Amino acid sequence: MAEKPGVPHHSDGAANGRAALTTCPFCSCGCGLYIHGEAGVLAGVTPSEHHPVSQGRLCARGWAAHEAPAWGERLTEPLLRRDGVLRPVGWEEALAHAAEGLRRAAPAVGVLGSARATNEECYLLARIGRQALGTANLDSAHRSSYQAQLDGLALVGGPGAAQGTLDDLEASEVILLVEGDLTSTHPRVGLSILRALRRGARLVTVGSSRTQFARLAAEHVPVVPGREREAFLGLVAAALESRERARTEALPGEAELRAGLAGRTPLEPERRVAAWFADAPRASLVLGPTNADADEAFESARVLATLLAVSGHLRRPGSAVLLLPARGNLRGACELGLTPDRLPGARGPFDEEALGRLRTVWGREPTPATGLDAEATVQLASALLVFAEDLPGALPSPGAVRAALERARCLVVLDAFLTPTARLAHVVLPVAAFGETDGTVTSFEGRVQRVRRLVAPPRSARPGWRVLADLLERLGAATSFRSADDVLAEVAGAVPAYADAAQADGSGWGAALRLPRDTGIALGPLEAPSPPVAGPVLAWDGALDWGSDPLVAFSPTLRRDHLSRRKLHPRGVVGLSLGMAQQLGVRAGDPVRLTSSSGETTLPAGPRGDLEPDVLLVPYAFREAAAVVMGGAAAREVRLARG
Amino acid sequence: MRQQDVGTIAKPDLREWVERLLAEAEVIAPTPAHGGDVLFATIRSADEVLWDFENPLAPPKPLVLPQTEPLVRIRRRNGRLALEPVDDARPRVLLNARSCDVKGMAFLRQMMAAEPADEAWLRRADRLTLVSLACNDPCRQGFCVCCDAGPSLREGYDLQLTDLGDRLLAEAASERGRRTLAAAGRALRPAREQDLDRRAELEGEARRRFGRETCHFGSAMRRLSAGRVEPELWEQASDWCQQCGACSYLCPVCYCFSVADRREDGGFLRCRLWDSCQLSAFTLEASGHNPRHQPAERIKRRLFHKVSAQYYRRDGSVGCVGCGRCVRACLGTTDLPALVAAVREGTWNG
Repeated sequence: MAEKPGVPHHSDGAANGRAALTTCPFCSCGCGLYIHGEAGVLAGVTPSEHHPVSQGRLCARGWAAHEAPAWGERLTEPLLRRDGVLRPVGWEEALAHAAEGLRRAAPAVGVLGSARATNEECYLLARIGRQALGTANLDSAHRSSYQAQLDGLALVGGPGAAQGTLDDLEASEVILLVEGDLTSTHPRVGLSILRALRRGARLVTVGSSRTQFARLAAEHVPVVPGREREAFLGLVAAALESRERARTEALPGEAELRAGLAGRTPLEPERRVAAWFADAPRASLVLGPTNADADEAFESARVLATLLAVSGHLRRPGSAVLLLPARGNLRGACELGLTPDRLPGARGPFDEEALGRLRTVWGREPTPATGLDAEATVQLASALLVFAEDLPGALPSPGAVRAALERARCLVVLDAFLTPTARLAHVVLPVAAFGETDGTVTSFEGRVQRVRRLVAPPRSARPGWRVLADLLERLGAATSFRSADDVLAEVAGAVPAYADAAQADGSGWGAALRLPRDTGIALGPLEAPSPPVAGPVLAWDGALDWGSDPLVAFSPTLRRDHLSRRKLHPRGVVGLSLGMAQQLGVRAGDPVRLTSSSGETTLPAGPRGDLEPDVLLVPYAFREAAAVVMGGAAAREVRLARG
Repeated sequence: MRQQDVGTIAKPDLREWVERLLAEAEVIAPTPAHGGDVLFATIRSADEVLWDFENPLAPPKPLVLPQTEPLVRIRRRNGRLALEPVDDARPRVLLNARSCDVKGMAFLRQMMAAEPADEAWLRRADRLTLVSLACNDPCRQGFCVCCDAGPSLREGYDLQLTDLGDRLLAEAASERGRRTLAAAGRALRPAREQDLDRRAELEGEARRRFGRETCHFGSAMRRLSAGRVEPELWEQASDWCQQCGACSYLCPVCYCFSVADRREDGGFLRCRLWDSCQLSAFTLEASGHNPRHQPAERIKRRLFHKVSAQYYRRDGSVGCVGCGRCVRACLGTTDLPALVAAVREGTWNG
C-alpha cells in the first residue's frame, strides 16, 4: 500500500507497516483492533478505543487473535495426493486438478464454507456452486440453526425482525437472555448487559444451567433442554393477559393467537416478567446460538418474536432483537449465499428479485433449486470443495463426517491451517489467514467492516478470494477481479444490502447493512410444544467446540483450557447436578450408564453445581461419545444408572 | 540544578530536535491512528509526533516486554543443538511518555533486575531513553496522585518535559537525558527563574484538579492484608468480570508471561508471551486440577498482589501507577479502583 510521507496511519486504517486496523475473527461481535507485526509475522494486538463496538475492549480470544496465524501449522504450498501421499506441486497444476475433479463430479458436488471466510470469499464460493458447478449443495457449519432462528423471527416480524444494536441493549430497561453462557460465547454482548444492569435494568435469563448471567438476573427461568418453548409460551400467555387489560388495538392474527393459547394459565413468575416487558419503554431480546434442530430453533424464535410483538417491543426503536451467530462471519455467509436454500441476497427460498439480479450479474441462470445441508452434502456428494473449515470439528456427527471424507472421490480443501480435513484432501490450496488478506466481514449487528492485511501469507499461500476467483475462471466463468474491493463491488450489485459497504472508503468504522423494507407484524396460532418429560434429559452443552477451531487450537494462550479438558476426559464426560450425583451414588469420574430408545452408552460423571436437577449435559466437544444415546437428536430423554 | 540538567526548547524548535533524535535512534512517540485512536508507534518524521493527546490505551510496555518476544533460536547443526539469543539491538528513544508510564517502567525494572536478573528485559530497557511529558491536566480515568506516579516525577525518567505554553521545560536526570537534551543544539536555552516557577505552578494546579478521581489504597490495603475481606465480596465481584485479561495486558506494571517454542525452518524459536493471572489456564496443572478454578479466587489473588501491605513492603509501592487503563479496557466492571472501593466499603455493588 502506498504510504503518504509523514502520516503514520492512513485514514483507512492501514498503518506504517507495523500496525493495521482490522476486525476480530472470533465470535461475530465485530470488535475493532490493531494487529501488530514483527519480522513478517503477527506479534500482538491493541484494542481500538474509538471503535463503536470494542470501545477499547477485547475478550480473551481477541487479545490472542495474532497467535494462530503465527503459531499454527500452516499450509504453505499447493499439494496434490499421489500414491496416497500429499506432495507439493505448482499452483497451475493444483488449480487444474481441483477444477477438473469438481467439474467431473458436478452437479453431485458440495461447496462448504466457514465462518472464517470473508464476505468476498463466501460470495465467490456461492458463485462457484450455483453458477459454475450447477449445484445448490452449499452450506456453512452452524448455519442451519442460525437461519432457522432468523426465519422464525421473520415469520412474525418481517425480514428485518432481528435488528438493533449493542447501544440499544445497554439502554434497555428489560433484557431477555435466552441460553448462552455469554461470557464464553459473546463476551462483548455480556458487557452491554453488565452496563445495563448497572443502570438498573432487569435481566431475565432462560436456560438449563445457572450461568454467570443467570446469577445476575432478576428472574431466572430454568428449563429442560428441548423444552424451552413451554416457558416461552407461558410468557406469551402472560403477555396476552397484560395486553388485554391494557385494551390495546389488536395486531393482525392476535385473535387466532389467543384462541390457540386459551386455557393456558400463566404462572406468577411469568406474569411478573410479562409486566416488566409491558411497562418497559425499551426491552431487548438476546438470542444466543443454539444446538437445537432447525425446526425447534424456528418455532422457539417464532414464540419469542410473538412475545415481543404482544408486549409492544417488536420493531420498536430502542428495543433490540439480537440474534447471535455461533461465530465469525456466519451472518455474512448466510447473506452472501453459502446456504442451500436461498440465493445470495435472497430473503427466502423463492426470491424472484434475487434470481433476476444474479442473472444480470453472472450473465447466466443461477441454479435456483434447494440443495443439501452440510451433513447431507458430506455424505452424498462425490466431490467437495471445502473452504477454511475442519468439518469433523464443526459438524454435529464427527464420526460420520470423517468416514464420508475418507470416502470422497475428490476432496478439494482451501485453508490456511493444516486441519484434520486438510490431511484427507486430494488437492490442498493454501490460503491466507487472519491478518494476511483484505476483505470484509459482517457482524451480528449487521455492521460490515474491513479485515486488513498486515503481513504476507507464508511462502506460496495466496489470499482466499484470489484462489476462488482463479478456480471460478477455470470452471468457465470469466472474472476480472484484481482486488477484494473488486469482488465487493460485484457483491453490491448482487446483494443490495451491501451497497453502502461497497461505497465506504474505509475511513470510518464500517458500514451498516441496508435494512429490508418493514412488512409489518403477523401473529398466528403457535405450535404446541413437545409434551413435558418426567425424567432426565441429555443434551449438548454449547453449540460449537471452540477448541477444534484452528484460531483457538493453534493459539498457545487459548488452547490450554481445551487441551487440558480433553486430557482430563479422554472418554468424555456427562455433567449432572450434585443432587442427581448423590442420588445415583456417583462421584467425579464414576461411570454413569445412559439409556435411550436409540441406544446406550456409559460416560464418566462430572457433577456440577450449576445444573438443573433433571438436566444432563455433555460438552459439545465430546458429542461423539454420546452420539449413540442421542441418536441424532439435540435433546433426549434418558434413563440413567450407576455404570 | 546544574546548567546542563535543565533548559527550555521553544515549540517551533521541537521539530528540528526530534529530527536530530531520529538520525541517531529509533524514535517512538504517540501517533494518530484510526478515528481518534492514539498509538505509540515508531515515527518516520517529526511531524508524526503528537504533543497534545490522551495517553494511548496501550502503554509503552511492549518496548521492553513485547506481547510476543523471541528470546532464543534453537537450531540443529551437525547433530548438535545451537542456541542463538535473539537480540533486538536497536537504541530507542521513547518520546512523550506520561509520568505514570515512566513510573511503570521503573517498577518493572525493579522486578526484572532483581536476582536472577531478566537479561532479555534489561537489554531492551538499557537501550531505551525515556523522555516523558508531564501532565498539566488530569486525564480522564487517571489517579496517578494516589500512587505517587504523577502528574510529574522527580526520578525514573531520562528527560522530563513540561509544557509551559510557548516552550517546553526539560529536566534531565541522567547522562543519557543530558545527551538527548543537548541534541537540541542551539534551540536549547537556559531555564529562567520564571520557567521553573511556572513548572511548579502547573504541577500544583494539576494536582488540585484531580478532585474526585481518586483511589484510596490505604484502608483497602489494611483490610486485605489483615484478611478482613469476606469471600462473598470476591464471588459477587467475579460475576461482573468476563475473564478477558485486559487488566494484566494493559497494566504498565503487570509482567506475567508464559514461554512457548514456535517451529521454524530448521529449528525452533523460543518466545515469551504475555499471560494473565485472570485466565483460568494460568494456574491449570497438568493433572487437570486448578488451584484457582473460580474467577473469584483469581480476582482476589490479583488484588492481593497489587494492593496488600505484604507486597507494598517488599516492593516499596503499590502495584499500580494510576494510569486508568484497566478502567478504560475492562470488559466488565471490575477495574482496580472499583475493586479497591469495594474492599474499603466491604461490599461489591456492581
